[in-house]
Amino acid sequence: MDVTIWFMAITYAAELTLLCIGYTLTYVTAKIPNFAHGTYAGFGIYVSYTFAKFFGINPYYGFPLAFVIGGLISVIVFRLVISTLTKMGSGSIVLTIATLAIQVFLGAILYIYAYMFISFYKQYATAFLLKEYDFKIGDISGIFYVAIGISTVAVIALHYLLTRTKMGIAMRATAEDTELASVLGINIVNVQLFSWFLTGGLACLAGAMIPMWFQSSPATGSAIITSIMAGSLLGGFDNIYGAIIGGFTIGMAEIMLTLGGQLLVGNWFGEYRPLIPMFFLIAVLLIEPGGIAGMYERLGRRRIRASIKKPKEKEDEK
Amino acid sequence: MMYANVALGILSSLPMAIEGTNRLIVDIAMFFGLLVIVAMALNFQYGNAGIPNMGCAVQVIIGAFSVSAIVLRVMLTVAASAGRPLQDWTNDFNWVYTSPANTAIMNEFIKNNMVTGIGFFLLSLGVALVLGAVIGYLLALPAIRLRATYLMIVLITMADASQIIGRNVVSISGGTLGLWIPNVFAWYPGDVGVITAVITLLLGIIAFFIFRTMLNSPYGRLMRSMRENEVTLGSIGKNVVGIRRNILMFASGVTAIAGVMNVYYFQFSNESGYQRAYWTYWPWLMLILGGPGNNAGTFLGAAMVIALRRSIIVFKFQIQSLFFFPVSYIEDIILGGLLVFVMIFRPSGLIPEKLLYVPGVNYAKMVKEDVKVDWRAAPKARVKKSEEKKSKTEEKK
Repeated sequence: MDVTIWFMAITYAAELTLLCIGYTLTYVTAKIPNFAHGTYAGFGIYVSYTFAKFFGINPYYGFPLAFVIGGLISVIVFRLVISTLTKMGSGSIVLTIATLAIQVFLGAILYIYAYMFISFYKQYATAFLLKEYDFKIGDISGIFYVAIGISTVAVIALHYLLTRTKMGIAMRATAEDTELASVLGINIVNVQLFSWFLTGGLACLAGAMIPMWFQSSPATGSAIITSIMAGSLLGGFDNIYGAIIGGFTIGMAEIMLTLGGQLLVGNWFGEYRPLIPMFFLIAVLLIEPGGIAGMYERLGRRRIRASIKKPKEKEDEK
Repeated sequence: MMYANVALGILSSLPMAIEGTNRLIVDIAMFFGLLVIVAMALNFQYGNAGIPNMGCAVQVIIGAFSVSAIVLRVMLTVAASAGRPLQDWTNDFNWVYTSPANTAIMNEFIKNNMVTGIGFFLLSLGVALVLGAVIGYLLALPAIRLRATYLMIVLITMADASQIIGRNVVSISGGTLGLWIPNVFAWYPGDVGVITAVITLLLGIIAFFIFRTMLNSPYGRLMRSMRENEVTLGSIGKNVVGIRRNILMFASGVTAIAGVMNVYYFQFSNESGYQRAYWTYWPWLMLILGGPGNNAGTFLGAAMVIALRRSIIVFKFQIQSLFFFPVSYIEDIILGGLLVFVMIFRPSGLIPEKLLYVPGVNYAKMVKEDVKVDWRAAPKARVKKSEEKKSKTEEKK
């Protein structure tokens, strides 16, 4: 087996981890599964495309812009749709359907953007790969290091943000109980705007990294949503640390299991690659709906129970 | 003049009558029938029972696949045993490549045996109902005990999964190339499209009456109470999971029939025609636009959405020159934008839901606010009410 496939799998897994973290953050703050999350990544893909093919600049310079664009789209979506519907007292089902509508809407805008290049600049923009714009360290593409670096930095920064800063604690408080948080003097609108900006930005940043190694099209963002949901669900759906493990596992499994299947049963197995995250999704729902976080919590409860028993025994001894 | 043409077309359905505008009318009627069945089943699940079924596409695909994978084999076996010179269809390669030749022979066979044709049609409806119910049960299995959001996620991914399986397993619906389906209405002397459209509309009306009867029965009240509060319903001893599963199974069966009729209309079966964007999102838009919870709203929503869509398709070539991208993306933008727009500005739809008429229950005694009761379900009571009003106005005088 070629070693590069491992690097490819790790790159993909790192990108998926970023997406899963953002998706889980949305679920924690707004209590809805955001189906438009994958499409934010689609915008990142086209930021990279515009930088590389249209302006002819190294796409890595576009990453900060991708973060800002993704954040702005996410904030606009939140202000125009989600927060309006929440104020009207709509339930989670209506909100989820609204995110689906947003997915269709944003997906169409991406296609129109891609067709703009085809019609006006005669560039083929609906399926592309930006690998030739990447630098190389040894035999490995630079995106491998960049993806791992960005993911690690994002995870550490997010951990620091959520546990050490006032904003992060306010975010956690808002996620737990919105009304109680507002009683304590937290500006809920600002906190929610910040968290939506963060999720959109992370998703768009992850999307900007995708075309550096993987074939991309306007539909890539919408197609990746299954993997995001599977990773988030495996991590426990409302636990950000679980999402890190879940996203990385699904990303690795998607590429390595496809390759393993191709080696074992034949090349036709590659066609079934989208079924692998779906398989994980259903397996998690059937076996442990709480995901890794739920399992950890259950084991933790057992540990707590054990630790409660111990002092009693000591008292008995005395 | 046009109406006379249409009437003539439906009655005699000579091929010359079904051209141009008349073909468009048949097409609109057909798609109205198909999508109204899907939207009504969706209304039954989401509008009345509160199950957010995002997998309409799966149920439609199952109906379509049941025709191409099961009923088609039965048809070929019957024709072969009747001594027709059919080509070999047993392996995957021949299954696709002898399909056009075999279909021509089958059409000839059904043309001469009307009863067999009707039998095939009824068989396909039965198979679709049963398979639809089975797939409803399977879909419900992993997620129905959990939160509604999990159910949505599972159903949405299933729509993609069934398309991938249909694309790669050739023996189901011919893989990427597709399969020709014999015309079960070949015995009808006129146009095929007309009779398929008429039968689809008839099936839609039958489905409407079934759903209406169920909604006005005690079971309908049970469904609505489940939508409002599951916990209360569970606490008074009702099996919430069981009710949900039953509703999903029944509605899946009905939705699968739309898939069957779609296949018979095109006389062609291929997975690419069953994208979730078409078969899941458009019915949802119809439901939200018309107003979830009542069938009149669903009809109105379906009529409006199909008029919009068809007019885009008809004027496609005239509009196309205005845009630099394919017009189909305008459809997507309208779909997404309209759905959000209706949700924000008209959350209860064009025709808001009314309270169910329950014999012997006077809502005015229970609640102080003015409530609107759906009197359509109780024609006799409506007469009484109008008499009461009359007597009241007379008293005032």
